[in-house]
Amino acid sequence: MGVRRTGEGSNHLVRKLPFLLILIILFFSLFLSQAYAQVQVRLRAIHASNAGSSVDPSLSDLHKELGSLFTFTSYRLMREETLNLFLNKPVSISAHEGRIVLEATLVGLHKNMAEIKLKVVREGIEILNTQVRLLPGRTILLGGPKHLRGGVVIYALYGRF
Amino acid sequence: MKDSCSLVSKLLEKYFDREVTDKERALVEGHLHGCPACRNALKSLEGLSAFIKAPVEEAVQKEDFPWVWQKIQREIRLQKKLTWWQSLRSWVNVSPLFKRRVWIPAVAMVVVLLFITAEIIFRKIPSYPDVSVVEYVESETDNVMVYQLEKQKVTVIWVFDEPGKDQTTS
Repeated sequence: MGVRRTGEGSNHLVRKLPFLLILIILFFSLFLSQAYAQVQVRLRAIHASNAGSSVDPSLSDLHKELGSLFTFTSYRLMREETLNLFLNKPVSISAHEGRIVLEATLVGLHKNMAEIKLKVVREGIEILNTQVRLLPGRTILLGGPKHLRGGVVIYALYGRF
Repeated sequence: MKDSCSLVSKLLEKYFDREVTDKERALVEGHLHGCPACRNALKSLEGLSAFIKAPVEEAVQKEDFPWVWQKIQREIRLQKKLTWWQSLRSWVNVSPLFKRRVWIPAVAMVVVLLFITAEIIFRKIPSYPDVSVVEYVESETDNVMVYQLEKQKVTVIWVFDEPGKDQTTS
Protein backbone atom coordinates (compact mmCIF):
# COMPACT_ATOMS: atom_id res chain seq x y z
CA MET A 1 0.00 0.00 0.00
CA GLY A 2 2.80 2.35 1.01
CA VAL A 3 4.77 1.50 -2.13
CA ARG A 4 1.79 2.24 -4.33
CA ARG A 5 1.35 5.65 -2.73
CA THR A 6 4.94 6.56 -3.43
CA GLY A 7 4.48 5.61 -7.07
CA GLU A 8 1.33 7.68 -7.36
CA GLY A 9 3.13 10.64 -5.80
CA SER A 10 6.00 10.46 -8.26
CA ASN A 11 3.57 10.10 -11.18
CA HIS A 12 1.72 13.18 -9.96
CA LEU A 13 5.00 15.09 -9.82
CA VAL A 14 5.97 13.93 -13.31
CA ARG A 15 2.62 15.12 -14.64
CA LYS A 16 3.13 18.54 -13.04
CA LEU A 17 6.74 18.85 -14.17
CA PRO A 18 6.08 20.59 -17.54
CA PHE A 19 3.99 23.28 -15.85
CA LEU A 20 6.62 23.81 -13.20
CA LEU A 21 9.32 24.05 -15.86
CA ILE A 22 7.33 26.61 -17.84
CA LEU A 23 6.81 28.67 -14.69
CA ILE A 24 10.48 28.54 -13.79
CA ILE A 25 11.51 29.55 -17.33
CA LEU A 26 9.04 32.44 -17.32
CA PHE A 27 10.23 33.73 -13.96
CA PHE A 28 13.86 33.48 -14.95
CA SER A 29 13.39 35.13 -18.34
CA LEU A 30 11.57 38.08 -16.74
CA PHE A 31 14.11 38.33 -13.95
CA LEU A 32 17.10 38.08 -16.28
CA SER A 33 15.71 40.58 -18.78
CA GLN A 34 15.55 43.11 -15.95
CA ALA A 35 18.83 42.13 -14.32
CA TYR A 36 20.81 42.30 -17.57
CA ALA A 37 19.34 45.54 -18.85
CA GLN A 38 22.27 47.65 -19.87
CA VAL A 39 23.08 50.76 -21.79
CA GLN A 40 26.26 52.07 -23.35
CA VAL A 41 27.32 55.62 -22.70
CA ARG A 42 30.36 57.41 -24.07
CA LEU A 43 31.85 59.56 -21.36
CA ARG A 44 34.51 62.20 -21.85
CA ALA A 45 36.11 64.31 -19.16
CA ILE A 46 37.22 67.65 -20.62
CA HIS A 47 39.41 70.33 -19.14
CA ALA A 48 38.13 73.65 -20.39
CA SER A 49 40.25 76.71 -19.78
CA ASN A 50 41.42 79.98 -21.23
CA ALA A 51 45.06 78.92 -21.27
CA GLY A 52 45.92 78.80 -24.94
CA SER A 53 43.52 78.24 -27.79
CA SER A 54 43.81 74.59 -28.65
CA VAL A 55 41.00 72.12 -29.05
CA ASP A 56 41.75 68.44 -28.67
CA PRO A 57 41.21 66.71 -32.05
CA SER A 58 39.19 63.99 -30.35
CA LEU A 59 36.67 66.67 -29.33
CA SER A 60 36.06 67.83 -32.90
CA ASP A 61 32.49 66.49 -32.85
CA LEU A 62 31.75 68.59 -29.75
CA HIS A 63 33.72 71.67 -30.73
CA LYS A 64 30.77 73.48 -32.25
CA GLU A 65 28.57 72.94 -29.17
CA LEU A 66 31.33 73.84 -26.75
CA GLY A 67 32.17 76.96 -28.71
CA SER A 68 28.57 78.17 -28.78
CA LEU A 69 27.95 77.44 -25.10
CA PHE A 70 31.10 78.52 -23.34
CA THR A 71 33.71 81.23 -23.64
CA PHE A 72 36.68 78.98 -22.96
CA THR A 73 39.41 79.00 -25.55
CA SER A 74 41.04 75.66 -24.83
CA TYR A 75 39.46 72.22 -24.56
CA ARG A 76 41.63 69.25 -23.58
CA LEU A 77 40.43 65.67 -23.29
CA MET A 78 41.43 64.29 -19.90
CA ARG A 79 39.74 60.93 -20.04
CA GLU A 80 37.48 58.96 -22.35
CA GLU A 81 35.50 55.89 -21.38
CA THR A 82 32.74 53.80 -22.86
CA LEU A 83 30.60 52.87 -19.91
CA ASN A 84 28.41 49.83 -19.85
CA LEU A 85 25.82 50.78 -17.32
CA PHE A 86 23.82 47.98 -15.73
CA LEU A 87 20.63 48.55 -13.86
CA ASN A 88 21.23 49.91 -10.35
CA LYS A 89 24.98 49.31 -10.55
CA PRO A 90 26.90 52.55 -10.04
CA VAL A 91 30.06 53.24 -12.03
CA SER A 92 32.57 55.82 -10.84
CA ILE A 93 34.92 57.74 -13.09
CA SER A 94 37.50 59.97 -11.55
CA ALA A 95 39.16 62.89 -13.25
CA HIS A 96 41.66 65.52 -12.32
CA GLU A 97 43.83 63.07 -10.37
CA GLY A 98 40.89 61.74 -8.39
CA ARG A 99 39.83 65.15 -7.20
CA ILE A 100 36.55 65.04 -9.05
CA VAL A 101 34.53 61.84 -9.31
CA LEU A 102 31.46 61.25 -11.39
CA GLU A 103 29.22 58.38 -10.35
CA ALA A 104 26.70 57.19 -12.94
CA THR A 105 23.91 54.69 -12.22
CA LEU A 106 21.38 53.36 -14.67
CA VAL A 107 18.07 53.49 -12.83
CA GLY A 108 15.67 52.83 -15.68
CA LEU A 109 15.75 51.66 -19.24
CA HIS A 110 12.89 52.16 -21.66
CA LYS A 111 12.65 51.95 -25.39
CA ASN A 112 15.05 54.62 -26.71
CA MET A 113 15.51 56.22 -23.33
CA ALA A 114 17.78 55.58 -20.35
CA GLU A 115 17.28 57.09 -16.94
CA ILE A 116 20.66 57.78 -15.38
CA LYS A 117 21.42 59.09 -11.95
CA LEU A 118 24.57 61.22 -11.81
CA LYS A 119 26.53 62.35 -8.80
CA VAL A 120 29.53 64.67 -8.84
CA VAL A 121 31.83 64.44 -5.85
CA ARG A 122 34.56 67.03 -5.41
CA GLU A 123 37.23 66.13 -2.87
CA GLY A 124 34.85 63.83 -1.05
CA ILE A 125 31.96 66.29 -0.97
CA GLU A 126 28.91 65.67 -3.12
CA ILE A 127 28.33 68.85 -5.04
CA LEU A 128 25.67 67.61 -7.46
CA ASN A 129 23.02 64.95 -7.52
CA THR A 130 20.87 64.75 -10.62
CA GLN A 131 18.82 62.35 -12.69
CA VAL A 132 18.57 62.62 -16.44
CA ARG A 133 16.76 60.89 -19.27
CA LEU A 134 19.34 60.26 -21.92
CA LEU A 135 18.30 59.56 -25.47
CA PRO A 136 20.47 57.88 -28.08
CA GLY A 137 22.51 60.32 -30.11
CA ARG A 138 22.03 63.09 -27.53
CA THR A 139 24.67 64.68 -25.32
CA ILE A 140 24.53 65.85 -21.75
CA LEU A 141 27.27 68.21 -20.63
CA LEU A 142 27.84 68.28 -16.92
CA GLY A 143 30.35 70.89 -15.92
CA GLY A 144 31.46 73.50 -13.49
CA PRO A 145 33.84 71.96 -10.97
CA LYS A 146 37.02 73.99 -10.83
CA HIS A 147 40.29 72.59 -12.12
CA LEU A 148 43.38 73.27 -10.02
CA ARG A 149 45.29 74.61 -13.03
CA GLY A 150 42.51 76.99 -13.88
CA GLY A 151 39.37 76.50 -15.87
CA VAL A 152 36.74 73.86 -15.23
CA VAL A 153 36.04 70.18 -15.73
CA ILE A 154 33.22 69.25 -18.10
CA TYR A 155 31.82 65.77 -18.43
CA ALA A 156 30.18 64.93 -21.76
CA LEU A 157 27.83 61.95 -21.78
CA TYR A 158 26.65 60.62 -25.10
CA GLY A 159 23.94 57.97 -25.43
CA ARG A 160 25.05 55.01 -27.57
CA PHE A 161 22.10 52.66 -27.65
CA MET B 1 -36.20 -41.50 -47.16
CA LYS B 2 -38.37 -40.07 -44.44
CA ASP B 3 -35.32 -39.39 -42.27
CA SER B 4 -33.63 -37.78 -45.27
CA CYS B 5 -36.73 -35.60 -45.91
CA SER B 6 -36.88 -34.39 -42.33
CA LEU B 7 -33.16 -33.53 -42.44
CA VAL B 8 -33.51 -31.69 -45.80
CA SER B 9 -36.66 -29.81 -44.72
CA LYS B 10 -34.64 -28.43 -41.79
CA LEU B 11 -31.96 -27.23 -44.23
CA LEU B 12 -34.38 -26.08 -46.92
CA GLU B 13 -34.85 -22.49 -45.61
CA LYS B 14 -31.10 -22.11 -45.13
CA TYR B 15 -30.61 -23.47 -48.67
CA PHE B 16 -33.13 -20.99 -50.03
CA ASP B 17 -31.34 -18.10 -48.26
CA ARG B 18 -28.00 -19.46 -49.53
CA GLU B 19 -26.64 -19.91 -46.04
CA VAL B 20 -25.75 -23.61 -46.30
CA THR B 21 -22.25 -25.07 -46.53
CA ASP B 22 -21.04 -26.79 -49.69
CA LYS B 23 -21.57 -30.17 -48.08
CA GLU B 24 -25.14 -29.29 -47.04
CA ARG B 25 -25.88 -27.86 -50.48
CA ALA B 26 -24.73 -31.10 -52.17
CA LEU B 27 -26.90 -33.07 -49.78
CA VAL B 28 -30.00 -30.91 -50.38
CA GLU B 29 -29.58 -30.83 -54.16
CA GLY B 30 -29.05 -34.61 -54.30
CA HIS B 31 -32.19 -35.13 -52.26
CA LEU B 32 -34.28 -32.64 -54.26
CA HIS B 33 -33.50 -34.61 -57.41
CA GLY B 34 -35.45 -37.61 -56.22
CA CYS B 35 -38.01 -36.04 -53.82
CA PRO B 36 -40.97 -34.21 -55.40
CA ALA B 37 -42.34 -33.31 -51.92
CA CYS B 38 -39.22 -31.41 -51.01
CA ARG B 39 -39.13 -29.78 -54.47
CA ASN B 40 -42.67 -28.57 -53.83
CA ALA B 41 -41.66 -27.25 -50.44
CA LEU B 42 -38.84 -25.27 -52.09
CA LYS B 43 -41.25 -23.90 -54.72
CA SER B 44 -43.59 -22.81 -51.92
CA LEU B 45 -40.73 -20.89 -50.31
CA GLU B 46 -39.98 -19.16 -53.65
CA GLY B 47 -43.65 -18.27 -54.05
CA LEU B 48 -43.82 -16.86 -50.52
CA SER B 49 -40.76 -14.75 -51.12
CA ALA B 50 -42.19 -13.31 -54.33
CA PHE B 51 -45.49 -12.72 -52.55
CA ILE B 52 -43.79 -10.60 -49.82
CA LYS B 53 -41.21 -8.86 -52.00
CA ALA B 54 -43.56 -7.48 -54.64
CA PRO B 55 -45.81 -5.34 -52.37
CA VAL B 56 -42.81 -4.04 -50.37
CA GLU B 57 -41.11 -2.85 -53.55
CA GLU B 58 -44.37 -1.31 -54.72
CA ALA B 59 -44.78 0.53 -51.41
CA VAL B 60 -41.19 1.80 -51.49
CA GLN B 61 -41.71 3.17 -55.00
CA LYS B 62 -44.83 4.94 -53.88
CA GLU B 63 -43.26 6.37 -50.71
CA ASP B 64 -42.38 10.10 -50.74
CA PHE B 65 -39.02 10.21 -48.97
CA PRO B 66 -38.41 13.98 -49.26
CA TRP B 67 -41.65 14.52 -47.43
CA VAL B 68 -40.55 12.14 -44.66
CA TRP B 69 -37.25 13.98 -44.34
CA GLN B 70 -39.06 17.33 -44.08
CA LYS B 71 -41.15 15.87 -41.30
CA ILE B 72 -38.04 14.75 -39.42
CA GLN B 73 -36.45 18.18 -39.78
CA ARG B 74 -39.61 19.84 -38.50
CA GLU B 75 -39.58 17.57 -35.49
CA ILE B 76 -35.92 18.49 -34.81
CA ARG B 77 -36.73 22.19 -35.03
CA LEU B 78 -39.63 21.83 -32.67
CA GLN B 79 -37.41 20.32 -30.00
CA LYS B 80 -36.67 22.59 -27.05
CA LYS B 81 -33.54 24.71 -27.48
CA LEU B 82 -30.84 24.35 -24.82
CA THR B 83 -29.67 27.38 -22.89
CA TRP B 84 -26.02 28.40 -23.27
CA TRP B 85 -25.28 26.99 -19.85
CA GLN B 86 -26.85 23.63 -20.74
CA SER B 87 -24.94 23.62 -24.03
CA LEU B 88 -21.72 24.32 -22.18
CA ARG B 89 -22.43 21.61 -19.64
CA SER B 90 -23.20 19.09 -22.35
CA TRP B 91 -20.02 20.06 -24.21
CA VAL B 92 -17.97 19.77 -21.05
CA ASN B 93 -19.47 16.38 -20.34
CA VAL B 94 -18.76 15.20 -23.86
CA SER B 95 -15.23 16.56 -24.19
CA PRO B 96 -12.69 13.96 -23.05
CA LEU B 97 -10.24 16.78 -22.46
CA PHE B 98 -12.41 18.24 -19.74
CA LYS B 99 -13.25 14.86 -18.30
CA ARG B 100 -9.59 14.47 -17.47
CA ARG B 101 -9.60 17.76 -15.59
CA VAL B 102 -6.52 19.04 -17.37
CA TRP B 103 -8.24 22.41 -17.44
CA ILE B 104 -7.47 22.98 -13.77
CA PRO B 105 -3.70 23.35 -14.24
CA ALA B 106 -4.33 25.04 -17.61
CA VAL B 107 -6.52 27.74 -16.03
CA ALA B 108 -4.04 28.08 -13.16
CA MET B 109 -1.26 28.53 -15.68
CA VAL B 110 -3.18 31.22 -17.57
CA VAL B 111 -3.91 33.06 -14.32
CA VAL B 112 -0.24 32.94 -13.30
CA LEU B 113 0.85 34.13 -16.76
CA LEU B 114 -1.63 36.99 -16.66
CA PHE B 115 -0.42 37.94 -13.20
CA ILE B 116 3.20 37.95 -14.36
CA THR B 117 2.62 39.77 -17.62
CA ALA B 118 -0.07 42.17 -16.37
CA GLU B 119 2.52 44.75 -15.47
CA ILE B 120 4.04 44.60 -18.93
CA ILE B 121 0.71 44.46 -20.79
CA PHE B 122 -1.03 47.22 -18.89
CA ARG B 123 1.99 49.45 -18.42
CA LYS B 124 1.36 52.84 -19.93
CA ILE B 125 4.01 53.70 -22.46
CA PRO B 126 4.79 57.35 -21.95
CA SER B 127 5.71 59.47 -24.90
CA TYR B 128 9.07 61.05 -24.34
CA PRO B 129 10.24 64.24 -25.95
CA ASP B 130 12.97 64.08 -28.54
CA VAL B 131 15.47 65.71 -26.22
CA SER B 132 17.18 64.55 -23.07
CA VAL B 133 15.38 65.60 -19.93
CA VAL B 134 16.77 66.53 -16.54
CA GLU B 135 14.39 65.03 -14.01
CA TYR B 136 15.88 66.79 -11.01
CA VAL B 137 19.04 68.49 -9.78
CA GLU B 138 20.16 68.79 -6.18
CA SER B 139 23.17 70.55 -4.73
CA GLU B 140 23.69 71.52 -1.14
CA THR B 141 26.93 73.38 -1.81
CA ASP B 142 26.63 75.17 -5.15
CA ASN B 143 24.16 76.80 -7.48
CA VAL B 144 23.17 74.74 -10.47
CA MET B 145 21.83 75.79 -13.84
CA VAL B 146 20.22 73.61 -16.49
CA TYR B 147 19.77 74.62 -20.08
CA GLN B 148 18.99 73.00 -23.32
CA LEU B 149 20.05 73.53 -26.87
CA GLU B 150 17.40 71.83 -28.94
CA LYS B 151 19.03 72.32 -32.33
CA GLN B 152 22.36 71.02 -31.14
CA LYS B 153 20.85 68.13 -29.18
CA VAL B 154 22.76 69.08 -26.08
CA THR B 155 21.61 69.48 -22.48
CA VAL B 156 23.88 71.34 -20.07
CA ILE B 157 23.97 71.01 -16.31
CA TRP B 158 26.31 73.60 -14.89
CA VAL B 159 27.53 73.70 -11.30
CA PHE B 160 28.64 77.15 -10.19
CA ASP B 161 31.64 76.09 -8.21
CA GLU B 162 32.39 78.92 -5.75
CA PRO B 163 29.34 81.01 -6.57
CA GLY B 164 29.79 84.55 -7.64
CA LYS B 165 33.28 84.03 -9.01
CA ASP B 166 32.46 81.95 -12.07
CA GLN B 167 31.55 84.06 -15.08
CA THR B 168 32.72 81.68 -17.76
CA THR B 169 29.40 80.59 -19.23
CA SER B 170 27.96 82.72 -21.95
